[in-house]
Amino acid sequence: MTLPIHSIRWRIQAWHGLLLLLVLAGFGAMAYHLQDTSETRHLDAELHLRISALFGNIARQPRPVPGPGDQRPDPPDGPPEGDPDDPPERNAGRGPRPGSFRLRPELAPLFASDGGSAFYYRVWTRDGAVFGSSPDAPAGLSRPERPQSRGGLFRSVNGRREAFEFTPPGESALVGVSEAGKEREMLRFAGKLAAVGAGVIVLGLAGGWWLASRAIRPVDAISATAARIAGGRLDERIPVSGNGSELDRLAAVLNHAFAQLDAAFAEQARFTSDAAHELRTPVSVILAQTQLALARPRDSDEYRESIEITRRSALRMQSLIESLLALARLDARTEPARRQPCDLASIGREQLDLIQPLAAERGIVLHQELEPAVCVADPDRVAQICTNLLSNAVKYNRIGGEVRLSSRRENGHALLTVTDTGLGIAAQHLPHIFDRFYRADDSRNRSTGGAGLGLAICKLLTEAEGGSLTVNSVEDRGSTFTLQILADENGDAKMEN
Amino acid sequence: MRILIVEDEPDFLRTVAQFLREDGYAVDAAPDGEEGLYKAQETEYDAIVLDAMLPYIDGFELLRQLRLKKKTPVLMLTARARVRDRIQGLDTGADDYLAKPVDLGELAARLRALIRRAHGNAAPVIHVDDVEIDTAARSVTLRGEPVVLTAREYALLEFLTLNRGRIITRTQLYEHLHDENDTPISNLVDVHIFNLRKKLGAEFIATHRGQGYSIG
Repeated sequence: MTLPIHSIRWRIQAWHGLLLLLVLAGFGAMAYHLQDTSETRHLDAELHLRISALFGNIARQPRPVPGPGDQRPDPPDGPPEGDPDDPPERNAGRGPRPGSFRLRPELAPLFASDGGSAFYYRVWTRDGAVFGSSPDAPAGLSRPERPQSRGGLFRSVNGRREAFEFTPPGESALVGVSEAGKEREMLRFAGKLAAVGAGVIVLGLAGGWWLASRAIRPVDAISATAARIAGGRLDERIPVSGNGSELDRLAAVLNHAFAQLDAAFAEQARFTSDAAHELRTPVSVILAQTQLALARPRDSDEYRESIEITRRSALRMQSLIESLLALARLDARTEPARRQPCDLASIGREQLDLIQPLAAERGIVLHQELEPAVCVADPDRVAQICTNLLSNAVKYNRIGGEVRLSSRRENGHALLTVTDTGLGIAAQHLPHIFDRFYRADDSRNRSTGGAGLGLAICKLLTEAEGGSLTVNSVEDRGSTFTLQILADENGDAKMEN
Repeated sequence: MRILIVEDEPDFLRTVAQFLREDGYAVDAAPDGEEGLYKAQETEYDAIVLDAMLPYIDGFELLRQLRLKKKTPVLMLTARARVRDRIQGLDTGADDYLAKPVDLGELAARLRALIRRAHGNAAPVIHVDDVEIDTAARSVTLRGEPVVLTAREYALLEFLTLNRGRIITRTQLYEHLHDENDTPISNLVDVHIFNLRKKLGAEFIATHRGQGYSIG
């Protein structure tokens, strides 16, 4: 059972969605903030416009004569731009009376209530009394504090945006407007942002799903192929597009692994079939021979011959089974190596004695050049390798030929070489002679008996001992097999003691 | 009937050869493909038992080369028993394909069938006048009465019967009744003919002076 949340596609999608959401949220917040600032600035500009106008208005109001400490020069808006509507008050020249402020009519539209948010104003006298006020000014409007620095100031109070300014003598003017309109604007803007954001998320998720599906498709192909291979179709391969993408490389690696698996299976199947074939031959002989013997009454010589043939076949089967078991054990690496320092020379000498009768039978002369060569290895295995090589050298030799066994130390290795004066091995067979069931020449197999496993076993044994087994051969001249195992550094001395 | 066995496993070759000889065949043996091909091309065998994996020339190649010249029935008898191999063998020109291990009785029966077919007969029992020859049981009756024949006499009768209506020379008779190790005495065929006439009637086998013998 696989939950969708565990699928890579879903996870990519989830992360993708989350990232998109975060980016959009950040972007939205920033846009909102910018819009808010811009709206405020816009509002402030409006307020500034009005307070400047109002300020001009104040200057033309009648006011008290400036005190002696007051350095303020005459208002800049003096006679040249003098307002003909105001001369009486201006000319009054005495301090303003609270409530006496009059808004000049041409300024009235600036503070007109146009159904929406209306700008209001209030003007205070020097001593803090309300000089004048628009009718819609909010009730709890407080006189702003005079700041240290000069110039216009803005404040946000109770959802209102207000600008205020002080005249040098101390009158203060304030223009304000409710921020409700701006807030409505911002709300609408936020709504738009949210709508656009949602659209982008939907598009992004859809695109992401498409991308993820596209990216995952090769994975699906890989898993489908792998499933078919697991189902026994070992020749299946994952299609590789060759574009060098990560999944392509994965597919190539997997294909390589599948090919090796396929080859290993084929090798195993071939081995089994070869083994069955090799066993079938002696079984055929036994079955045919016994059927023949039983077909009619025979004399004892005939029975004896029949039994001899049967026994020969049984021995052949036994040797084949032993070889197969040896291979299986070596393949499985179940047998622990009993490594100890052993001298190739003494092992060689023993094996040479054992092969002597067979050699004598075929008139083959055995030579030895055995110098001490101590290595660390399993002596039984080394002995088996040596026997196999020697018996091959005797079997595949010409009558009256020679076999030379030598051992020596060379470059930190212990070497054992078996040289024969036989037929040699043709160059095209050399790479295969350590293969299982490989016979260099079919014509030599039946009469000499081997099933083609001896050298394969030698090779495996050598590798198990960490050594190497190599062959040199010249056709019609003979072959030289060399076993090379890492020498025991102080072994020679030890052996001598 | 003379048969060639091409087989590289000496014990198996010996066993099959002995079995077929005891069944009344003249048997030649070849231990490798080269010798097998040579013998198969040089001698008129009634059938050849051929192994597939042979030294020098393998069975399939031997068969291919043989088929360029001869129609001798070939039974492949080999441990290579996969369907692929059987198809290859039959398509190369083999008439039958048997896998080792083999039941010798079956091998003999298949050889009889091959030889029968090669001479255009389907039925194992052949009637010539009053004589009935059962090639499966290797028995002969004359007007319902069993006739006892020696192996050679039977082989000669069977060969003439299978080739009924044709004149068979003495040389042909020698070739088909003796294997390579026999040293046939020249008038031995005449002795067998004489004995067969005595047992089946003088008119049964016709002599064609200077040419040979015929039945039917």
